[in-house]
Amino acid sequence: MNPQLSRRHFLRAAGSAIALPALESLGFRAFAADKVAARPKRMIFLGFGFGVTQETWFPDTAQVGTDYKLPEGLAPLERHRKDFTVIQGLSNKYSQDAHWGSTFWLTGANRFAEPGQSFHNTISADQVAVSKLGRETRFGSIQLNGGEPDLVAHHQGHGPGLSLAWDAGGKPVAGLNSPAALFHRLFSEEPMPLAQRQALLAQEKSVLDAVLSDAKQLQRGLTKSDNDKLNEYFQSIRELETRIARDEAWLGVAKPKAPLNEPPENMRGKEEVKLMYDLMVAAFQTDSTRVFTYRQPSEAFVKSLGVKVGVHDMSHYAPGERMEASQARDRAQSELFAGLLDRLKGVREPDGSSLLDHTCIAYGSNLRTVHTLDNCPTVIAGGGAGVKLGHHIVAPKGTPLCNLWLTLLRGVGVGAERHGDSTGVLKEVVA
Amino acid sequence: MAALGLQKQKMTVPTRFRSPAGPLRMPLSLLICGAAVLQPLTPAAAEPLKKAELKAEAPPTATAELPGRHKAFLEKHCVECHGAEKQKGKLRLDDISLTVDTPGKADRWAKILNSINSGEMPPEEAKQPDQGAKADFLDALSQTMVTARKALSDQGGNITMRRLNRREYQNTLRELLGVEMNVGTLPADGSPDTFDTVGSALFMSPDQFLMYRQLGRKALDQGFEAAVAKPEVRKARYEAEAETRPMVERSLAEFVSIRKRYTKWTKAVDEAAKLPENQQLAAELREKNKDKAEKFYLEWEKLKGAPSPKEFGFPDAVDANMMNGRWEQYVPQGADYMARPKSKTGTFLGVAHLNHRWVSVPVPKQWPAGEYRVRAMVAATEEGPADRRFVDFLSDYPSSQVLSTHQVTGTMEQPQLLEIPVFIDADGNNRFKFAEKAIMGNPDGVGPAAQVFVAGFQENRIGPEYAVWIDWVEVEGPFVSPRVSKTRADLRARIESFERKECDAREFLTQFAVRALRGRVVAPEFLDKLCALYEARVKAGEKPLEAVKNPLSLLLASPSFLYVAEPADDGKRRALTSLELASRLSFFLWSSPPDEELLKLAASGELQKPEVLAQQVERHLADARSDRFIKPFVLQWLGLSRLDFFQFSTKLYPKFDLPTKAAAKDEVIETFSHLLKTRGSLASLLKSDFVYVNGLLAGYYDIPGVTGDEFRKVALPPDSPRGGLLGMAAILAMGSNGEQTSPVERGAWVLRKLLHDPPPPAPANVPQLNRLANKQLTTRERIALHQEDAQCAQCHRKIDPVGFGLENFDAVGKWRTVDQRPGVPPDNREIKPEGAFFKGPAFRNYYELRDLVAAKPERFARGFTEALVEFGLGRPFGFSDEALAEEILSQAARKDFQVAEFIHALVATKAFHSK
Repeated sequence: MNPQLSRRHFLRAAGSAIALPALESLGFRAFAADKVAARPKRMIFLGFGFGVTQETWFPDTAQVGTDYKLPEGLAPLERHRKDFTVIQGLSNKYSQDAHWGSTFWLTGANRFAEPGQSFHNTISADQVAVSKLGRETRFGSIQLNGGEPDLVAHHQGHGPGLSLAWDAGGKPVAGLNSPAALFHRLFSEEPMPLAQRQALLAQEKSVLDAVLSDAKQLQRGLTKSDNDKLNEYFQSIRELETRIARDEAWLGVAKPKAPLNEPPENMRGKEEVKLMYDLMVAAFQTDSTRVFTYRQPSEAFVKSLGVKVGVHDMSHYAPGERMEASQARDRAQSELFAGLLDRLKGVREPDGSSLLDHTCIAYGSNLRTVHTLDNCPTVIAGGGAGVKLGHHIVAPKGTPLCNLWLTLLRGVGVGAERHGDSTGVLKEVVA
Repeated sequence: MAALGLQKQKMTVPTRFRSPAGPLRMPLSLLICGAAVLQPLTPAAAEPLKKAELKAEAPPTATAELPGRHKAFLEKHCVECHGAEKQKGKLRLDDISLTVDTPGKADRWAKILNSINSGEMPPEEAKQPDQGAKADFLDALSQTMVTARKALSDQGGNITMRRLNRREYQNTLRELLGVEMNVGTLPADGSPDTFDTVGSALFMSPDQFLMYRQLGRKALDQGFEAAVAKPEVRKARYEAEAETRPMVERSLAEFVSIRKRYTKWTKAVDEAAKLPENQQLAAELREKNKDKAEKFYLEWEKLKGAPSPKEFGFPDAVDANMMNGRWEQYVPQGADYMARPKSKTGTFLGVAHLNHRWVSVPVPKQWPAGEYRVRAMVAATEEGPADRRFVDFLSDYPSSQVLSTHQVTGTMEQPQLLEIPVFIDADGNNRFKFAEKAIMGNPDGVGPAAQVFVAGFQENRIGPEYAVWIDWVEVEGPFVSPRVSKTRADLRARIESFERKECDAREFLTQFAVRALRGRVVAPEFLDKLCALYEARVKAGEKPLEAVKNPLSLLLASPSFLYVAEPADDGKRRALTSLELASRLSFFLWSSPPDEELLKLAASGELQKPEVLAQQVERHLADARSDRFIKPFVLQWLGLSRLDFFQFSTKLYPKFDLPTKAAAKDEVIETFSHLLKTRGSLASLLKSDFVYVNGLLAGYYDIPGVTGDEFRKVALPPDSPRGGLLGMAAILAMGSNGEQTSPVERGAWVLRKLLHDPPPPAPANVPQLNRLANKQLTTRERIALHQEDAQCAQCHRKIDPVGFGLENFDAVGKWRTVDQRPGVPPDNREIKPEGAFFKGPAFRNYYELRDLVAAKPERFARGFTEALVEFGLGRPFGFSDEALAEEILSQAARKDFQVAEFIHALVATKAFHSK
């Protein structure tokens, strides 16, 4: 591959992909209202490590359709039961090792697909969605990565990766790891005057240009696998170039005023999740981004519930203290999730509908329980993808989880042919 | 028929294993395929061996093949539905190839394995296979899959260009600029099954690039500033009593006031209770609360005319009762404290309640970043028990964390001077403190402190005896080590020459780049662009020295800096240049770029001479910087991070406090380091007649006569269970969950790390044994059930017996003969360690188990060699590395498996010299 050519190519393509900020973001809400009959679609992917307590989380498979009893682990969601669907029977067929947690949750990739390598991944569903939903906002997508930054992710039940998101080359996308960081990304204004900022962006471009010249020099005579490695660097720089192009497009457009207070630093566990949810809603309200992934905290979360058992130990539960801890985790997560749905319902769109009506949320884990990777716990909520809500669906065993991702992607208007190991859309959820 | 032929060939293999020719005459390369432990090879394991032998002349790659005899299982249980006539699920097994040599075949076999493991196949209504046969089949197929995955992902010796990991990046900035950077903001490196040096698992992201730029800029700012600053050593001393006495005095005064106000309030409530309209109710309330008379006052509101506790300065009645109730625990203790003459000249470190649990060492805010020394004059009291004569040195912000623990050997007559080096960074820690061991900094709050207090308090109604007294503390610095001093002097000279305009920005950048890029020359085009950036900055009005930091920070985020690149043509292995060799060696043994001496030897080509290279290995190992290899390597090789997975119950195991846990972890590293540096044998890690411990750990092991913080070699009596990894508290504690032992974790660890016979990864989707719900079973009973289901038995029959052999050690590695934990039925308390290796020799107790493991040092050495290759070359160990492993092993074996010899051998191999 000729990097010079592909880069120019890329920039051209990237430039054209970045549309001007939507008028509404500029404050012409009333004016824009009648023009935007179709409200923007949004997606949120919420993934937790270590699965659920299977005995008390999954509805009875004998009760399918709308008339089913929510089990204890999902009970806090009762007030929203018309707004979400629980799906059983989905799994990623290549996921055969529990210690890889969330690595393939949104990608469905085969870790061993590439001969000569012991790790391979592909693009995650959220990043596919960005191609369609990420064009008009200041941020194409935002990744959140909870928990203590020092704890290696696989101790959190999530496996390798930096967030739930993997880019087009199957490389990990980094995430913000605190509500404070997310707040600043969304709402903190650059303290710099416009002209200076413009100059800086111009300079940043020459900065990236300079390191690219080094990368190209280095690239000469590298083996294929070295080149693949260096490509991560190229990709990173290109991504930054896209960010700059986007920054330029948004230069002069002030960041929106924060509809909530700046969260304190060092919020961990339950508090972190609640604040992240608040900020997601705020980000949608201000149309700062339309795609979120959130790799949720495990260890800190359980600790914040006052549970004394370590989280990995808890995941290998047996009746008694560890199982109770696991159940407490399920309940607390469902309560917080219910809170998120409350808030999304509470925000009215210009046409009178609620944010939830245009948002598609996937909530789940690649791990069912302990070391079990089939029947991934899966809840989808919100009207964004136009799928069937209020149901309990049991798909045939072994149905690819990617069929759901494909269905959701198509539901929000992404013209994907397939995703991961999908074999088609998930007919059961199509409304 | 083919199967028959295979069987025949297999028969020849085990004999080679039984040959008494010594471990090194054995085809060590063949050990890899997961032969069951300590037994003649099972046919399952022997199969791939044959392959390797047959292919001896072909390029050394291995293929995985399910041994032919297992075809019978498929024929008996699967072919009826998946055969020539019917192919349910489009799967046909009668003619399926048993060779798993493509990703497609591997996926198909993985699916078959998974459906049997999950109990899906054979279907419920079909005749079920005998559990033993099923376990054998699953075992063989699991092992074949492990071999297949490994063979298919074999990189054929290809080393993927690697990015500096966090440690290397931090060390590089130190060598380059003399600064100590906090790199905690960078994403953590590594994946579950590789080392943090393996290139293919070291990623890059846009945000990471930005972080490198920020960190690089910060390092330049700090480095330039420190380079030109005139180092001025400052000192601040604090008398311990100056902090403590006023605090204790204030507490006492507060309690006197509380008692006064409380007495007034309760008297007023009593008065109100006497009023006729209240009398009856008051009598009822007193009767109701007669067990705890003060609870009567909680109901003051019900009594007409009773005053609110708020009027007496209490937020509410609950608080008033609580504050008053604390008198007992605080006031006698405080009065006793203030009356002690030695509390007027120092601080007795308390364990609970009063504010005399610590002595602070504040570092004035304006002091510059750098190396400091904290000192304390400490003494052990006569009355304090020996196991409490330790102090913790802690950070105070943002959280209290134990940084180190020190044994106090000084006496009240002759106190002892402690000196602790600390690093103070510009925006981090600037406050430290001393406290008695394990009293502060516990994540679960008070920890063992409460137990110590209660025990003492119950005896004398004052509190426990004091164990440690501190006279004064001080902090002095910054000190500059000779190496950093030289780095700074070099940098200063270059900065000054730049400022005097003796060299221009281009030259300044070029000089810096030579060091930053480990001897490589910066490409002209890149240099042009860096210079242009500098010019733009100057034009914008920045001073030259500021302006030049911008391109420099970019250099520190450039691929030439961040990646250790060794350009080569595809498919062709080439010899490393001398400079590349220098980098490889230095990053291997110091986790940092080559120093001047090594660069010089590289430049002259001398480094390519084997004897010069060997000298350099010696020099690197002897230098203190080799700790940067030893610690991360040992932690990752032995999987010691598991020790930090969970908290140990301080209630069940008060002696295994955080400082002891830290010392136990250090023991593993220190023992390895000792063996490495004294030409000790790797086999000592399996069994030895000594331990390498400090005073704290010796106390924990009940080994008398060891005092002080230094780790040292201590001889053991012949009947000691210690000596070797299996007797180390860290290893044993890691095989628990913080409350109870986990024979499975321990057994699997022994197979994985000591016997080099790793069980396959735990299979997914194995059905849970639901009928066990709500049953109280002993550990042994519970685990016995593993043997019941074939899916579990395939691995657990190998793992569990080994784990049970270690049951004489409790969850924190203390020796026991009975399980005293609450809840264990009395008739089940006796530890029964006897067992046998699967299809292998039996052992009656821990000692025999250890001897059996120690009798196979070559297995241990093999695992160690693979780990070393992976860590040192920065790539996974593959089947194509058989010859490499054998070369290293045979050289090490000739030197009695000396740890250092493995490193010499690896460095001498062709692989170490090749891209």
